[in-house]
Amino acid sequence: MRAFFEIFRLEMRRLWRRRTAQLLALAALAWIFCVPWLANGDGTLDGVRHVQLLLSLGGAFTICCVSLAASGALSFAAEREEFRLALARVRPAPRFALAAGRMAALSAAGAGVLALCACFVVAKYGAGRPCSRVIDPVMEPVAAEADRMYAHYLSLLPKLDDPATPEELRGVLASLTNTPKAVLSRMFMQRARDRFESIGPGATARWTFPAQDAGEGLAVRIRFSSDFNMRDEVRGVFAFGDLSGSVSNITKSILKVPLARGAKAAGAVAPAQAVQTLEFANSSPNTLMLRPRKDLKLLAAADSFAWNMVRAWLQLSAMLATVCAFAVFLGSCLGRTVAVFTCGVMLFTGAASSDIIESYPDQLEENRVDRISLAVTRAVEFVCRPVFSLHPVAALADDECVAPAETLQAVAIDAFAIPALLALLSALAMAYAHESAK
Amino acid sequence: MAVVELQGVSKTFRDFWLRPTVKALDGLDLSIESGEIFGLLGPNGSGKSTTIKLILGLLSPDAGKVALFSRPPGSAAARKRLGYLPELSYLHSFMTARETLLYYAGLCGLDRATARERTRQLLEMTRLSDVADRQVGGFSKGMARRVALASSLIGKPELLVLDEPTSGLDPVSTDEVKTLVKELAKSGMTILMTSHLLADAQDVCTRFMILNNGRSVAQGAVADLDGSLQDCFLAAVAERRAFSVASFLKA
Repeated sequence: MRAFFEIFRLEMRRLWRRRTAQLLALAALAWIFCVPWLANGDGTLDGVRHVQLLLSLGGAFTICCVSLAASGALSFAAEREEFRLALARVRPAPRFALAAGRMAALSAAGAGVLALCACFVVAKYGAGRPCSRVIDPVMEPVAAEADRMYAHYLSLLPKLDDPATPEELRGVLASLTNTPKAVLSRMFMQRARDRFESIGPGATARWTFPAQDAGEGLAVRIRFSSDFNMRDEVRGVFAFGDLSGSVSNITKSILKVPLARGAKAAGAVAPAQAVQTLEFANSSPNTLMLRPRKDLKLLAAADSFAWNMVRAWLQLSAMLATVCAFAVFLGSCLGRTVAVFTCGVMLFTGAASSDIIESYPDQLEENRVDRISLAVTRAVEFVCRPVFSLHPVAALADDECVAPAETLQAVAIDAFAIPALLALLSALAMAYAHESAK
Repeated sequence: MAVVELQGVSKTFRDFWLRPTVKALDGLDLSIESGEIFGLLGPNGSGKSTTIKLILGLLSPDAGKVALFSRPPGSAAARKRLGYLPELSYLHSFMTARETLLYYAGLCGLDRATARERTRQLLEMTRLSDVADRQVGGFSKGMARRVALASSLIGKPELLVLDEPTSGLDPVSTDEVKTLVKELAKSGMTILMTSHLLADAQDVCTRFMILNNGRSVAQGAVADLDGSLQDCFLAAVAERRAFSVASFLKA
């Protein structure tokens, strides 16, 4: 433990005395100060706030990630290549501590800079602004729905040779015959997530949600679509127990409908029940469509923006810890230029991978090279998931509550478990890298 | 008791594809007893650095056995009793001399009070007390060398490995280092040193080994030498010199 703290202190001194920490703080704060001149959103107060929050904190986090990862990979690789690391290695200090202390120092420096930025943002946008807890509808799990689709697909396969089967269905089945089960499952899961539900004119749709104790402060966030992806009129009334709210807008907009106490609606249930029904009565002349898993959320009042920022800061710091640990790991086994390059490429592909996978589903890739590239992107996305699957800044900008459970998990996994594992791998890599250094 | 023991040690360096590139050591036997000042000598590329790295536990042998205090050299127990001064000082330029010594004291596991006291003593011994709180990046090569020497002694080692200890020092400092090495040996410390300055090695060492092409070509007690260590060295590596001249003439 003593060795860990000595290395931690050494790295902190390096960051401070080489002015890396000060420059980083200056760059991040300068970015936050500049954002209001760069982004104005859609012109509404909420729109401006949304865009500025997203850009300012997101930008500051990116600056921290890129500079600390480069600094960590460079300095560690340089120490190893210049033999300075060997001086620490010949002392009775565990190799694990040599890597872990450095990872911790880089993460602490980054967390400090992010805390400064967070304080500034809270001061600017108001600490007391309420945020909402996001509640998903209670639905069949995506995997179960995908399994049902797969079972249905298997039941259709014998019809491939049946001349009575429509040509179109035969074509679809034939195109899927040689597709591996894993790819089919991914396709069906994507389809389950994107499954649309239609609500005809005058019809009423119902979805179930976990029962909510707090009647006041509830709202529905919804995004309707229409046939042919046109902007059509939306009119209707939501009812959730004795709460209701009416909507009048256009499709494709994200609508936030506050639910207020009114006449007892038809969807009301006894409070003892675990779920409650949300109803939407469509009074517009068009058929409305929505993807319940993506487009429909219930919002319940949670705590303040300041508390939400604390959780977002914890998540961002945890994500940064993983990035720094990865950079140090690369520095422990690669030359400085290769380490920095690899780290940069991994960060970029990691950040872009989820969008690439979303935009290029398996069935669209017919070329072998594209399929291989997609498989590599999937692997990168899987490796980077602990960092890039969290979206605390987006949640802050949307006034959504950064989930406490998710925050705890991020701290445990991203800030401790993954860096510890990478420190162990670095310890192994240090021994091997020295063996091959001649 | 042998402090350092190498038996039939061979080491070949390999490239990324594990193809052999350099055979650095070839069946080397070496034993250093407690309290000795042992000189490991040899021309460039003879295997001195590889031998030292094996003793420090930074490399592992392909064949043979390396033991430090009868333990594997990489073990924490062996490293606790080891001090090392590399050929170049490799100091962190942003740290002060005092911080450098306290840092290495921490890595050696000394408690804070002992670390502070030991740091004060070593700064006095190396005449660095006046500049103890200046960053070592601004030090002259000689001063940096003294900081590195002090940091190698911070854990009160029983075996001190000195790689070119007088490199970069002026004649007065060189003489001081030589006197210090002798005094440390008198206090019971075992010292293994390499040097290209054969006169210095002859002044200080009690025993020596000359390496050439990864093999021991001469060894013994300095006191038993008929002539100077330099004559012995040149005779031992004569084959290499003759070969070089012959190939030059042939070319």
